[in-house]
Amino acid sequence: MGSPPFFYRWSTTFSPWLALLAVIVFSTGLFWGLGFAPTDYKQGDVYRIIYIHVPSAILAESIYILMAVCGFISMVWRAKIAGMLITSAAPIGAGFTFIALVTGSIWGQFTWGTWWVWDARLTSTLILFFLYSAIIGLHSSIENKAKADRAVSILAVLGVVIVPIIKKSVDWWQTLHQSSTFTLTSSPSMSPDMYQPLFVCVLGFYFLFIFMLTNSLRGEIIFRERDKLWVKNQFFEQER
Amino acid sequence: MKDRNNTLDWFMLVMRRDLILSFRRSATYLTPLIFFLIVVTFFPLALGPSQSLLSSLAAGIIWISALLSSLLAVEGIFSEDYQDGTIDQYFISTEPVFVLIFAKVLCHWLVCGAPIILASIISSLFLYLPSGVLFALIESLLMGTFFMSLLGALGAALSLGRSAILSAIIVLPFSIPTLLMGTAIMTAAINQQDYSGFLLIMGAMLAIGIPGLCLLTVEAIKLNYE
Repeated sequence: MGSPPFFYRWSTTFSPWLALLAVIVFSTGLFWGLGFAPTDYKQGDVYRIIYIHVPSAILAESIYILMAVCGFISMVWRAKIAGMLITSAAPIGAGFTFIALVTGSIWGQFTWGTWWVWDARLTSTLILFFLYSAIIGLHSSIENKAKADRAVSILAVLGVVIVPIIKKSVDWWQTLHQSSTFTLTSSPSMSPDMYQPLFVCVLGFYFLFIFMLTNSLRGEIIFRERDKLWVKNQFFEQER
Repeated sequence: MKDRNNTLDWFMLVMRRDLILSFRRSATYLTPLIFFLIVVTFFPLALGPSQSLLSSLAAGIIWISALLSSLLAVEGIFSEDYQDGTIDQYFISTEPVFVLIFAKVLCHWLVCGAPIILASIISSLFLYLPSGVLFALIESLLMGTFFMSLLGALGAALSLGRSAILSAIIVLPFSIPTLLMGTAIMTAAINQQDYSGFLLIMGAMLAIGIPGLCLLTVEAIKLNYE
């Protein structure tokens, strides 16, 4: 797993099956959730945005944790692939965070009557988006990509220390200032026929993410190792 | 000359050198101070001179200005020493480098952070900060600006030789806990509640931050030697 050529060859056979799995689970979850789950008696059909909003929000945090773990691995063991993984995962994570923010905002407009509330959850997700942006910005500013990987892993490790503090401090800050009229945390206890499609959706989003990450990582590997012999052998075998 | 084998001696040596260098050039301690005062002045200009409005916003305004100016001040902390080879000497010396980096940051905070705290006392009069909370302001700023100096040093090390705005983008999201803690202290003080809990949390953050951030800063500086 650790060496880029091995991962590349292994993922060549693995990736199509992953795509198939992702498409099946993802579309099952979405069709079930958007088409067949019962309508909410209070919110109507607007609540169905939950089937996109919640999985993206879960992924936004999971991807950050993954990046921090990779950052630690790349700092301690200098594993090349861990650094490339951060590079590939950061834009995807930023994308999911953005989707979570936008869908949450749309949902908020329909149910709360406002696009944005300075609630603890919303604020900490916005900060998470800024952290992703910081990592992407730092990485793109350093010409030498191996160096950029290590710089970014320092930031990712710092993030894993500080993200829980941000979460806690935002909670305290919010409770100290004013109690928000609406909270996302106290969700109504859902009925099983609403909850089950949500679970499938989360699973589908995870598979989708793993597929996207694998593909993006494959591209990154080829780009980084374009001067290596194994890449040349891989692509120019037929011509010889 | 005395034999310098002790880490503490090295610590004092770095401190002394940096202090002398900063006092010989008044720009190092005057620029952040003036920047702070200008930013504070901009708020009444933008929001209007209403006394009640400014009074309720004062703590937040002073905190944001202090964060920004201590961040901007720390931005170039390593660039000169990196260019003239002083940092090379840190790595050549057999001493733990993060201790020397800590000496640099501490010295920088004494030169740039402390004047900002003094200026915040003056600007609390400009902004009609409620009386009786000045002590809480100083207490929270003492720790807050130091934490910002440590964070800013990491940002400066990561963006060594690159734009200053990059350093700001890197550091600012990570400075949010400090800002929230600082404003929590101020809000509690204004409402005459006990704020020692928040102060202790901030101290704990600083206690983890001093070794942790200095070690990460050393890692970041090392990247430039590859």
